[in-house]
Amino acid sequence: MGFQLLASRLLNPFFGSSLIVWAWLISTFLAAFSLGSIIGGWISNAPARHRQRAQWIVGALAVASLAFTAFFGRAMLGQIEIAFAEITTGLLVACLALFFLPVTTLSSFGPQCVQYLASRGTPPGKASGLIYGVSTLGNIAGVMLTAFVLIPHLPVSTLLYLWLVVALVNLTALNLLLRSSPTNSAP
Amino acid sequence: MKPRRYLICCFVLFLSIAFSSRAVEAPDYIENHDTLYNNLTVEKRGTVVELRARSRAGEYLESAVDLADPLRLVVPYTRSLFAAAFFEPKPRNVLMIGLGGAGFHRVFMHAFPSARLQSVELDPKVWELCQTKLAFKPTSQTPVAVMDGRLFVKRNREIWDWLILDAFRGGFVPPHLKTQEFYRECAARLSTRGVFVTNLHQDTELFAADLRTIQSVFPHVLLFQTHGRGNVIVCAFKSAASDLARAPDIAALEKSNPKLASKLDLDALAAELLPFPAELAAKARILTDDFSPVEFLDALKTNNTNAR
Repeated sequence: MGFQLLASRLLNPFFGSSLIVWAWLISTFLAAFSLGSIIGGWISNAPARHRQRAQWIVGALAVASLAFTAFFGRAMLGQIEIAFAEITTGLLVACLALFFLPVTTLSSFGPQCVQYLASRGTPPGKASGLIYGVSTLGNIAGVMLTAFVLIPHLPVSTLLYLWLVVALVNLTALNLLLRSSPTNSAP
Repeated sequence: MKPRRYLICCFVLFLSIAFSSRAVEAPDYIENHDTLYNNLTVEKRGTVVELRARSRAGEYLESAVDLADPLRLVVPYTRSLFAAAFFEPKPRNVLMIGLGGAGFHRVFMHAFPSARLQSVELDPKVWELCQTKLAFKPTSQTPVAVMDGRLFVKRNREIWDWLILDAFRGGFVPPHLKTQEFYRECAARLSTRGVFVTNLHQDTELFAADLRTIQSVFPHVLLFQTHGRGNVIVCAFKSAASDLARAPDIAALEKSNPKLASKLDLDALAAELLPFPAELAAKARILTDDFSPVEFLDALKTNNTNAR
């Protein structure tokens, strides 16, 4: 969610701050959450060897796409703005190009964490509640920190680099943790 | 309480209620509109229609028009916007970002009947109310585009003699209309002797950052302070020619445009000239697309006109 606030700051100079911008941005993030959750569900039920490979690939994709947004986001938006005269089309392309992949890949780790806890004896309902509860609290913290501390004091570009480093460290740690998850049998 | 004393008390109470209700004239009507971007109130009191926007600090007067005398500038800072006439007295093509109730437009078209005044307004409801409640009749000389101001400046390739930025959303200016990059885009669309005009609030921390940012793009910046209202009108010039940012020549403007002089007190307008607070501006950070914490710098203590 904090990333969503940064995304709006990236888009505003190119597409304005109208309701259309927010509608596309929120829809893109929700679509990415949705797809990411489905992919995460598939990965968590894959055989151990395939699952671990998929986790590293998805993690690498998340870091690479975040890096693309951080390093080339503004240049990309400039090109998209020129290429598409229609604002709605331009926004759709911009949101898909810069935000869809990082959010999809990052949100795929939620179901995998649920599976991790469930495979270690936590009842599935409890594991799911715990992961999504903690995830939502993390989102609240991310929004508040971004809105009231980070954006007032740091440039958006710096924050994107910061996001990238945090994602790199966290995903590496998470993948190492998930690696120790017991082997699942494919359904 | 004795009956006589009771009657006296009732009589005093009646008189106080009667006089207090007479002191504040009841409005003819009040309408509230929840729009895509604002919570607006339209209030008609006698012949004056006010357009107010609600924000976190209360309700603020965005615009007002006297229907009986549309050429009377009801909102004080709109007079200060005409300071641009001191520097480019014959504008042919003018862009105004932020329509409001179009109080400025009526005096402008009276004073410059052959000019074209293009407006850009984000909120379609503001545009609708401007026509239906504030009696603005757009013509081919006063077209209005409903879209984001920055997008309009980027996509429209015309050159403007005056470019006026007066876009508020309930006392708040969107961050992307406050940045160095946007001011550069505006400067690129100005004629050689064109004037960039913008309305700032003086008593917030944003003021210093605004001045620093504007100064980083425009070589000459002059300020006009609307007395007692907290508004400062900036007139900025992209050309470094020293004759542009000269002291207001009242006599020359009176001579070249008697229509404008008949509607504005040009002496009072010229007297609004404010020394540039260089020290204040020097301490502030330049706002850019990458760093523009506008919401946090803007304390919103006062608005462009009367706080209610």
